[in-house]
Amino acid sequence: MALLRSELLKQRSTRTLLGLFAAMLGLVLSAALLHSLLPAEQLANRHTQLMVFGRGEFLGVLFAALLGAMSITAEIRHGTIRPTFLFSPRRDRVLAAKVLVSFTIGAGFGLVAGAAAVAAGTAALRARGIELQLDGRDYVLLVAGSAAAASLWAAIGVGVGALVRHQVPALVGICAWLLFVEGLLAGDLVGLGDVGRFLPGSAASAISGQDPGALLAPATGLALLAAYAAVAALAGALATSRRDVG
Amino acid sequence: MTKRIEEGETPIAPSTHGGAVVTVSSLTKLFGEIVAVDDLTFSLPRGTVTGFLGPNGAGKTTTLRLLLGLAEPTAGEALVFGRRYRDLDQPAHRVGAVLESTDFHRGRSGRDHLRALALAAKIPPARVEELLELVELATAAERRVKTYSLGMRQRLGLATALLGDPELLILDEPANGLDPAGVHWLRRFLRRFAEQGRTVLVSSHMLAEAAQTVDDVVIIDHGRLVTTGRLDELTQDGRTLEDVFLALTGAAS
Repeated sequence: MALLRSELLKQRSTRTLLGLFAAMLGLVLSAALLHSLLPAEQLANRHTQLMVFGRGEFLGVLFAALLGAMSITAEIRHGTIRPTFLFSPRRDRVLAAKVLVSFTIGAGFGLVAGAAAVAAGTAALRARGIELQLDGRDYVLLVAGSAAAASLWAAIGVGVGALVRHQVPALVGICAWLLFVEGLLAGDLVGLGDVGRFLPGSAASAISGQDPGALLAPATGLALLAAYAAVAALAGALATSRRDVG
Repeated sequence: MTKRIEEGETPIAPSTHGGAVVTVSSLTKLFGEIVAVDDLTFSLPRGTVTGFLGPNGAGKTTTLRLLLGLAEPTAGEALVFGRRYRDLDQPAHRVGAVLESTDFHRGRSGRDHLRALALAAKIPPARVEELLELVELATAAERRVKTYSLGMRQRLGLATALLGDPELLILDEPANGLDPAGVHWLRRFLRRFAEQGRTVLVSSHMLAEAAQTVDDVVIIDHGRLVTTGRLDELTQDGRTLEDVFLALTGAAS
């Protein structure tokens, strides 16, 4: 509990959190609005509407992952990891506190991103007089699924940050993975094909109910992503406990 | 409190009463092929200020990191109060340390830096305010650390180390960046700290300053112990600490 409060104060006491949140919200709104400029006949399609509103989940996941990674890499970069581990030599507990705090803030990020994308998208489609094809379950999945996916990706971010340690490669790696590496692996080029939907970014999209034909069912995606998060967090904690602190 | 010794049990010398506060024995640390610390052995008695001296790259900082559990020894051991740092019950209440004067998030205020660490070690917030007063940062406490001068950062580092009211203070080059008044303040502070029966291990390569502050010295070079002993005994033949140091570390021309 003491460690959770400590980690929470660390998150609140710099401008990083607010900066990430503002950037995420700005991108969610722009993405939803830009996508709503697509041709009307395309937007009338349920599949496209899910894709447009799903931009919230994607950006929530991305920024939650960055937030999680920075909770550890920023400490390494600034050297505060030394006093942190002097005050709490049980490094696995420090990592656990970082995972829990990032998980919680990540859920908030995902919730806001999902809701903002739905709100902005709905408003834009209504303004263009395009009929919405989504039902209540879709909206719940888009918002709650986005929160769940982002919270789990925040935990993955902590694990990746703890393994990579250097801030820039960790953040660039996360961005690269989510923005195009997964797409390449799953796409025709590498030809993982059907296996692609089991990758962690696709699992996150599955939770919010996107692309129901191609992706896993939401519950399966959730279970799979939770497993990824657990593995990443454990690997990060193990590496941090064993390695020397610079 | 004295621990009752059962009949037939070998009495173990209590490590905290008159015994050694720091025990380094046959300590060795390799980084790949490089030998950073080489079979180093020394101990610190309670209530003294010990200067940990050596040229750059002698292995001072590595030794301190090993002592504080931030790195694992390749061989040998480095104990504080007879135990490994990480095995201490409430380490921040026994040992305070500053390894780098830059270990702050530049965008966090001095007060929040102290508070976050205080929370982790269950130290009351009032103690944070007390230390901000002590190191004369109370008026700058809300400012972000990036606006602090080097001297202010040194003092914030010292406040960090003192949060848990420790019995042992380990400082790596604490006088860097302090102005003459700051150096004077630090020296008096360390002397008073030791007079209360507490112990200080301070690494330095500022020999003239160290000579005015320390009782004992541990001099290392190339990761090995060169000499250890009381400063007044080492310099009794009229030589300065600098003469002794340069002669022993082979840096004299």
